[in-house]
Amino acid sequence: MTDDHIVKLEAVWKVYRMGRRRRIEVEALRGVDLGVARGEFLAVTGPSGSGKSTLLHLMGCLDRPTKGRVLFEGEDVSALRATALARIRNRRVGFVFQSFNLSPTLSALGNVELPMIFAGVPRRERLRRARELLARVGLTERERHLPAELSGGEQQRVAIARALANSPDLLLADEPTGNLDSETGRGVLSLLSGSNADGVTVVVVTHDPEVAGIAHRVLRIRDGRIVEDTDA
Amino acid sequence: MLDLFGIAVRGLLHRKKRSWLTIVGILIGITAVVALVSLGESMQRAVKRSFEELGYDVVMILPGELGGGFGGPGSFSTPFEIDVDALSTVEGVGEIGLLNFQSVYVKAGGKEGFLDALGVSGNIFSFFKVEMVEGRGFTEGERGAAILGREVATELGIGAGGTVLIEDRPFAVVGVYSADSRLDEDAIIIPLADLQELTGTRAVTMVLVRVAPGYDVSETAKRIEDFLRRSRGRRDLSVQTMEEVHEVVQRALGILGAFLGGIAGIALLVGGIGVMNTMYTAVLERTREIGVMKAVGARNSQIALIFLLESGLMGLAGGILGTGIGSSLNFIAVFAAKRALGTGVLEYGISWWLVLGALGFSFLVGAVAGLLPARAAARLDPVEALRYE
Ligand SMILES: Nc1ncnc2c1ncn2[C@@H]1O[C@H](COP(=O)(O)OP(=O)(O)OP(=O)(O)O)[C@@H](O)[C@H]1O
Ligand SMILES: [Mg+2]
Repeated sequence: MTDDHIVKLEAVWKVYRMGRRRRIEVEALRGVDLGVARGEFLAVTGPSGSGKSTLLHLMGCLDRPTKGRVLFEGEDVSALRATALARIRNRRVGFVFQSFNLSPTLSALGNVELPMIFAGVPRRERLRRARELLARVGLTERERHLPAELSGGEQQRVAIARALANSPDLLLADEPTGNLDSETGRGVLSLLSGSNADGVTVVVVTHDPEVAGIAHRVLRIRDGRIVEDTDA
Repeated sequence: MLDLFGIAVRGLLHRKKRSWLTIVGILIGITAVVALVSLGESMQRAVKRSFEELGYDVVMILPGELGGGFGGPGSFSTPFEIDVDALSTVEGVGEIGLLNFQSVYVKAGGKEGFLDALGVSGNIFSFFKVEMVEGRGFTEGERGAAILGREVATELGIGAGGTVLIEDRPFAVVGVYSADSRLDEDAIIIPLADLQELTGTRAVTMVLVRVAPGYDVSETAKRIEDFLRRSRGRRDLSVQTMEEVHEVVQRALGILGAFLGGIAGIALLVGGIGVMNTMYTAVLERTREIGVMKAVGARNSQIALIFLLESGLMGLAGGILGTGIGSSLNFIAVFAAKRALGTGVLEYGISWWLVLGALGFSFLVGAVAGLLPARAAARLDPVEALRYE
């Protein structure tokens, strides 16, 4: 690879079609050019509906652009089949969501195991790794608990452990502290910056100035366009 | 695969009540299928046993065509006369046993009424065994003797050594028999000659011919048929080898079993639709979770497999329980039939192919019912699924 971008967007448009006969078009992203450098800690801010989540989904190979190119480690995402995208999401990317999104039927341990199950990691190795990650987020005592039996902060820590399960290169977090009080949010943030210190590229969508404060680079988007790109 | 299985099991346990209700739907279907098919098997088994007792070297002569006559004394049709001496000259014909079945008026122990009487030639017990609970069978050429069904003996309060009046003629009771596949316990057996005398006819309702050793059974049957047609000038009697009869009966029972099983299959179909409904609901409810699984890297095939396993497992659980209940019902039916109708009508047993078939089939029904929901789950767009509330 010639440049050191883990993910790169070139003139990316994302248009959602909705309504009856899918006639209504929503332009969620309108010509975004962006390179995310390896090892970077990037914060994305902007008003509601400006396209932040859409941007994150495209970076994480959860979706394909309507126009333009998304290059994940130099590879054009539009040219890849669904299975190949699933593989990238599984091995290279970790997602953390605002609403935690844990599997309600699985224990904390099971949730952390989940990406490794899909990757086909043998059980013994999986358990070892999952316990190690739960220890790292300070939830060793809670491994048997179901999500419903955990506090919001605990759930989000499980979600971070899950996102790190297959040692991703890129960690994408969509308002990870949005549903948490500031104290708990700070704990979650330090986990993210800890991962970044370990070499994981982190992109965080946030409204929280505190989060933006610890980022290397802050992106402001509005109406599907990048309106500000500042290095800290 | 094994781990996806674990996820599927968790999913089922998480919505216990609904899973169970769905399983009950399958259970009812499989119970019906297993109970009815194994009942058919029990009949076949009992029939096979009685044919084996009779022996395959026996040829039956019956009035009319086969199918209208076999199954028990009560179902014999028109009596007919036959020249036994002439029949015995046909090549290959060995021992000849004769049966006649009539209703007679019996008095004994202060009671009286009509009873079914079976007139038999003295050698009949060499063709089929009658289970004696008391006394003995007839000796060759014996007259004026009677063997009572156990129910009759109890009802009249008479055992071996007693006397009964049949059509006002005294008969010495020499034995009491218990029910089996051919005979109910509420009948009375007397020598054929006596019955013919009482009823004033020379008729019989069935002739059994044992093929002499060294002769081919079906060829001998053919010769008997030719002889009957020539000597009687018409084809009013049919000649059947045990093998033929057995085949016809087995086929009839097989068709009956398949028919009943088919009807039960409809219940299973309804159960399958229940599974499909539950799975569609599950996919809808878990849309967001499916989105998350996709976000953490589940392939579409893995998502589909999870849901297929869930529905297949519900099917299998219903299958295991249904097979258990169904074969228990069969067991109860056999037990009840023995009490009510006598031994030999049904014989308990359940074949391994029915068990394996029922289990495999129930899993299949579940999995097939889950096919479309699983496909729907696999095809969900991850972004849309994540936005789903
Ligand atoms: N799957 C979709 N179908 C239709 N429209 C969509 C879809 N996803 C997003 N949109 C629309 O695209 C625009 C951008 O949405 P997006 O979720 O990226 O915004 P956001 O910046 O994350 O907002 P928020 O801060 O509220 O989460 C919005 O107008 C939204 O309604
Ligand atoms: Mg958003």
